[in-house]
Amino acid sequence: MWNAQEKINKLMGLVTSVEMDELDCDECYGRVAEYAENLLLSRGYTEAMFAIQRHLEQCPCCRDEFDALMEGLRALPTLDEPS
Amino acid sequence: MDDEQNQRWLDRLRGPEPERGEAIEELRKQLLVGLSRSLGSRYGGAVQAEDIVQEALLRILDSLNSFQGRCRFLTWAMTVATRVGIGAARRKYFRDVSLDSLRQSDALQFELAVAPIASVEAAQDRDALVCQLKEIVDRQLTEKQRIAIQGVLDELPVEIIADRVGSNRNAVYKLVHDARLKLRDALEQSGITAEVFRSAFA
Repeated sequence: MWNAQEKINKLMGLVTSVEMDELDCDECYGRVAEYAENLLLSRGYTEAMFAIQRHLEQCPCCRDEFDALMEGLRALPTLDEPS
Repeated sequence: MDDEQNQRWLDRLRGPEPERGEAIEELRKQLLVGLSRSLGSRYGGAVQAEDIVQEALLRILDSLNSFQGRCRFLTWAMTVATRVGIGAARRKYFRDVSLDSLRQSDALQFELAVAPIASVEAAQDRDALVCQLKEIVDRQLTEKQRIAIQGVLDELPVEIIADRVGSNRNAVYKLVHDARLKLRDALEQSGITAEVFRSAFA
């Protein structure tokens, strides 16, 4: 059963962290491959990358998929940076 | 280097047999390695990589035109495959979960299991605050927004909430985003801050 305090804290967290120009899930999905690859290959961040990072902090579903994606990509030897 | 490799993947996957078949098989093997790791025991191992790789391949082949070359082809393909895999795992895992709370029109319930509080006055203050919050929620949000917010607070995946409100994942995210903005504005106008809540529940 939910603890009311926990629920209210979570709701307040959702409310106080909202921004007008957040990416939605589709926009995040459209750029997340690039974001993951940049992280894996230690490339620089662009402004678009920060927007993806913010969405991943807000959306547990996209975050979960992103974590799974990173694990999967790390298992692929072909993603190593070419020498 | 990446551009050449990406173009080679696309040419082979769009090309004639037997080159196309060989490319698909090569991609299938790579996806199997990646999905085996990414799905792992997520959602109780609801879906295995072998079960989902064919569907993922079809999704990738259907959406080749949406690959824009901003990353390596395999990174993009794994992103598509991971969404297919995780989506299937979530649906299977949550299939039997009771979603009764999401069917109620006044979905947001805060009265549950509130911790005991020291003084009567403090308890009254807290109850008044909760009432005020509920009133704002009821006044500001549509029924679908209340259901979506309830689902998020219950940590249900967006796909599951979308199924319940007869919508899609992105629309649910927008529904929740709009609800958060409305609540933020309404709470600000009422002078209720996160700190007020923290104090009341401390």
